[in-house]
Amino acid sequence: MTREGPELEVLLRRLAETPPDFLGDPAFGASGHVHTIAVVNDVLIAAGASTVDQRLAELGKLGTPHDANRLRLAQVLAWLLADPWFEGAKCDVLPALLAASAELAPLVAAQRAVEHPERREELARLALSKLGLRPAGESEELAADRLTALSSAERARVLAASRAAEERARAIREQLAKKAAEESADKWSRE
Amino acid sequence: MNDPEPEDEERYPLLGEAGRELMRGLREHPAAPIFRNRSGNRLTSEDLARVLEIEREVGTSQVRWAPGEKPGWLAGFLARALSHVPHYRGYGRTQAELEELPSITRGDLGRDIAAFVPDDLPIERMINFRTSGTTGHPLLVASHPTVAASYLAFHKKALRHFGVELRAGAGRVGVALVGYQRKCFTYVSVTPQMGESALVKLNLHPDDWRDPDDRARYLDALDPEMYTGDPVSFSELVTLPLRTRPRALLSTSMTLLPETRRRLEDRFACPVIDVYSLNEAGPVAFDAGDDTWHLLQHELYVELVDGEITLTGGMNPWLPLVRYRTGDYAELVFHGGEPRLVGLAGRAPTRFRTESGELLNNIEVTHALAGFALPQWTLLQRRDGSFDFRTSAGNATVLRAALLSLFGANARIDVATDAVFDGKVRQYVSELE
Repeated sequence: MTREGPELEVLLRRLAETPPDFLGDPAFGASGHVHTIAVVNDVLIAAGASTVDQRLAELGKLGTPHDANRLRLAQVLAWLLADPWFEGAKCDVLPALLAASAELAPLVAAQRAVEHPERREELARLALSKLGLRPAGESEELAADRLTALSSAERARVLAASRAAEERARAIREQLAKKAAEESADKWSRE
Repeated sequence: MNDPEPEDEERYPLLGEAGRELMRGLREHPAAPIFRNRSGNRLTSEDLARVLEIEREVGTSQVRWAPGEKPGWLAGFLARALSHVPHYRGYGRTQAELEELPSITRGDLGRDIAAFVPDDLPIERMINFRTSGTTGHPLLVASHPTVAASYLAFHKKALRHFGVELRAGAGRVGVALVGYQRKCFTYVSVTPQMGESALVKLNLHPDDWRDPDDRARYLDALDPEMYTGDPVSFSELVTLPLRTRPRALLSTSMTLLPETRRRLEDRFACPVIDVYSLNEAGPVAFDAGDDTWHLLQHELYVELVDGEITLTGGMNPWLPLVRYRTGDYAELVFHGGEPRLVGLAGRAPTRFRTESGELLNNIEVTHALAGFALPQWTLLQRRDGSFDFRTSAGNATVLRAALLSLFGANARIDVATDAVFDGKVRQYVSELE
């Protein structure tokens, strides 16, 4: 976070105003209509790229349960990093976009990263940090502290929620396996 | 793990003395079959209040939406599913148009049914419905006694279309569920929302009876107001020398051919209602006799995805469906603001090749068999283009002629009329596809 970046407020406002198209379903598998790679490529071209960046292929690598959310986060980040501030800043935005979307994918739903104030701030700060930037007017120390606070609180919440979810899923499976559940209850017809 | 058999208090929490006596009489009747199992309604007084409330709702509700529109309840249902149901929460959306969401299949439910139970519903009294399906992948469906009990509300709605109001109350048998299988879950219970009238689930297969003639004696003694079953069990029922008459027959699970239906109507002089029902969704629609299937559930949205009946919503809060592909095919038509199904064809369409190379959809085969009272049948087209038709009734020569008129005079068709089926089967298979 050595360099000073844009004002945080500008980025937060931009995220809050993310056009719905950027939250559309990524096209892979049987569903979806947004071609994430094309969306990100448009941002790179606007930033001055003249050829297709080979590193874009990273986006298309699937295989985790969070792929859909990762791609949707990449679309939101593409919108964020298309802010005019970055145009003249000579930033290598693609590695930052790839790293931030992969890191947040298991933790924050893209929609929530747009709708929820703290998650917006986390996304904006994370994107800046991956670019080696800090919000305008903040010290390096303050920027690092603020990002850590936001992300660790969210991580703790997600961890607790997933533990509770696992516990409940186990209880449901146990209940359904009991003799009493197996014996079923009266239906007036059978399928 | 300590997993005790349930007690009667758990099976029938509201059981009164009259209901207990009625059940005892039905079990101990001299002509009674061997009841192999026990089961109950499991309804508490709170459950019963809920079931009665659902019945009132269903009685006054209408299934309505116009083409290109969505019913009013759908947006709220989706928002809740996306926030409260683990599987749908995994989509990472808090709001969405239905069409933006992926569809799910039986395979998704089979992988982890727990992921479809909403976070905020109590799970202590959940029950399951186990289904084998015709594809051999067993599935455990999460449900609840109030859901099971609410089937009746939808049956009543279908019956009302044919002018039948169920009346059986205390001391009477409301329904006999008849099966015809080598192995069948059988028991006696009572229905609290019908004044503790009895529900008797029995197997017409002779192996379940001390004397096969006991079947008619026992059923006459029951004199049930309604029978539910499938074309196979009803084809056995029609052969029994019954003196009593039900007020309605309700058929599920398998294709009911028009001729089978006509024979049953002639024999029992009552409406015979074909209901399209799924363990995953409950009773979906019934054949209204006007060439359309009327939808039964006012909070079940039906769309067609590549012709496949795809369901959202549904009567089971423990298994909220979002774009569930049923594996069944039909067309959706609109009568005013009322959506209906036409040409319900059961499982995924199979195409058969005629002698001249034309491809025929399996519905054509079903139509060609409309004049026969076949309880069950299968048709296989072999790799070499020849056919194997198997059924458990009918005249082989006449059946073969009907199939030849469909597939070509020189088509090679083997017909067996002594096939033995046990349960649901995959009706149409082509090795050419």
